Amino acid sequence: MRPRNKCELMTNLRRFGEPRLRGKYLFISRIKSGRLKDLVDYLHWRLGGYYSTSIGVDERPLDGYFHVYHVFVLEKYGVYVLVDLPANPGHPVVESITPIVPAANWAEREIMDFIGIKFRAHPEPHRLILPDDWPDNVYPLRKDFPYDEKLPTSDKIAKLVRESPSDTWIAEDSEDHTAIPVGPYHPALHEPEYFELFVEGEKIVDARYKGFMVHRGIEKIAESRLTYNQVPFIAERICGICGFTHSTAYCQAVEEAARIDVPERAEYIRSILLEIERIHSHFLWMGVAFHLLGYDTGFMIMWRLRESIMDLAEKLTGSRKMYGANIVGGIRDKWDIKEEKVALINDTLGKIREEYLKYVPKIISMEEIKKRTRGVGILSRSDARKYSVLGPHARASGINTDVRRYRPYAAYKYVDVEIPVEDDGDIYARIIIRHEEIIASIDLIHRLLDNIPRTHLHADTDYIPERRYGIGCTEAPRGEDLHFVITGKDNKLYRWRPRAPTYNNLLSVPTMLRGEHLADAPIIIASIDPCFSCTDHIVVVDLRSGRRRPLRTGGLVGGR
Amino acid sequence: MNRIKVLLENLRKGVVTEQYPFRPLRVPERLRGKPVIDPDKCAGCGACVNVCPPNALTMRDDKHSSMRFIVLFIGRCIYCGKCEETCPFGAIRLTKEFELAAESREDLYQVVGLRLYHCPMCGEPFTTVRLIKRIVEALPEEQRAAAIICPRCRESVTAHYRSYARR
Repeated sequence: MRPRNKCELMTNLRRFGEPRLRGKYLFISRIKSGRLKDLVDYLHWRLGGYYSTSIGVDERPLDGYFHVYHVFVLEKYGVYVLVDLPANPGHPVVESITPIVPAANWAEREIMDFIGIKFRAHPEPHRLILPDDWPDNVYPLRKDFPYDEKLPTSDKIAKLVRESPSDTWIAEDSEDHTAIPVGPYHPALHEPEYFELFVEGEKIVDARYKGFMVHRGIEKIAESRLTYNQVPFIAERICGICGFTHSTAYCQAVEEAARIDVPERAEYIRSILLEIERIHSHFLWMGVAFHLLGYDTGFMIMWRLRESIMDLAEKLTGSRKMYGANIVGGIRDKWDIKEEKVALINDTLGKIREEYLKYVPKIISMEEIKKRTRGVGILSRSDARKYSVLGPHARASGINTDVRRYRPYAAYKYVDVEIPVEDDGDIYARIIIRHEEIIASIDLIHRLLDNIPRTHLHADTDYIPERRYGIGCTEAPRGEDLHFVITGKDNKLYRWRPRAPTYNNLLSVPTMLRGEHLADAPIIIASIDPCFSCTDHIVVVDLRSGRRRPLRTGGLVGGR
Repeated sequence: MNRIKVLLENLRKGVVTEQYPFRPLRVPERLRGKPVIDPDKCAGCGACVNVCPPNALTMRDDKHSSMRFIVLFIGRCIYCGKCEETCPFGAIRLTKEFELAAESREDLYQVVGLRLYHCPMCGEPFTTVRLIKRIVEALPEEQRAAAIICPRCRESVTAHYRSYARR
């Protein structure tokens, strides 16, 4: 039986360790030996919560231990559960939870790379983020590793270049004139992702993903060099599409940690800008999805519509994408939304809505679109739970989750948010979800603008106490965006870990690809909206001939 | 059927592409473009250097030539406008210029050099002449003497006076 309230929850959790409630955060420390797996099973599978992410912290200067915090979200009880696993600095090993919750796979491997904590019984204990030529036993996020350290170059690099698979691809592809791969970096789109699909004829048997080629180490920069109010601008540049949601999540995390009350007007402005960002992101995604389905008229229409949203953002904030509005404690003075701008937003959104409804309902009811997307790339509800997928991706698989409604932040506290949920779990459901979200967002902005209160724009942030924990969550266009901070000395963070929603969503892609046709692979990968990038650059390995060739969407959906 | 309706709607819309770069692009009022330092207003206090998130603004004191250099490197700038917001003299501001491609790396730098001010007691440089002048002008007569010496000397002078006061 599920506990009815926080009190009963605390009693139940005492079976596994020592729970402590600090506001919204429920730390469980001193886990009884051998009980970790039962605890994780209880939290993720029985309590109706879900695994969100894991954070590794080098807290040796503070209490002499490394720590791993597994974050579980229990929306029903309004708490974040942080399972605290200390690791002895002499022998940093903790038990892995990946066998119980597969979603923890990457987060645990990231901690292995960066902090050097080993996870016992992890199914794939390989490097995830650090390159193969990185020396062993050097862990960049430990506090004794300086941020500007340059490591000596390794001999291994030369070897890597020689063994680069692309050389062999070129040789093999020369007979049948398939396109040459341009490395794992796409020249036209802006993010490197690398999929390996294993096919038998036209059927996909298995898929592998390798990413993290552009890890920039901004966590280390933020912890070593930047002050609290400089980080929002770096956080905004985590993503080229939904940057503002990152800076908001970061600011919220620090505000939580330091218990700063954000003035209401700032909350409203944040919400309005976040919704503008969501609309432009969904327009972008829809455009790309139509393009991948071979319907370029739809692509052009969506991107033209998006342009008016970008112009609106530029008029409001001075930049199409990098709004630069957030600081810890509120919004910068010049970013106020004044009367004449309220009229401008209402006016522009009205026009966009009108034009949007002229086109998109027609497009998504077209038979061609339905045939390509219905019953394709299905992610069942149980698989979605297994990988803790987030946002529209989860909502398309029948999971009713949205940070805006269930853990309201910014101005979502004051308004109702409509959450569309679909049960089919296929690509069509994902299109419908985003379609409905666009309309809901436009209406939401109108409602927010009607009620925008007159208060200050930012709170005073003179003093931020040391060693406080804070989690900031926002509903990014792609799902829950979580930022974890520990405050530190000298106006600087001790630890900052942003976790973008695609981190969880990407893990589910191989599952969706299995058993599908090769021609559907681009749209399946794109359907999670993976911060849209090189998703069209896939390497195909034919199991019968062992031949590798790159997969380009142009070749699959349109003419070459 | 739907496909044709969409096409018709599209035809009615007409051409929406802008003729940039053959015609200049209209930019909005609030565009945050290339930052420019006004060398006549800058006093070399370094407030902008402190707030700049990507280290696009840096400060360097050259003892040989007795100059302080405020260096702005556009290649690192993220156009956040923190410097403009912070500058106490309104010396740095973001223009609407956005076409910043340059033929050489040097074109991306703006350097402002200011004469260093040396402490009359210990002779160490600690700020610029222009900043000291502005500070002195802003202060009442009786506080000026304390402002023109470096913080370290000021500390020892204050300690000296305080120890007299206690006796």
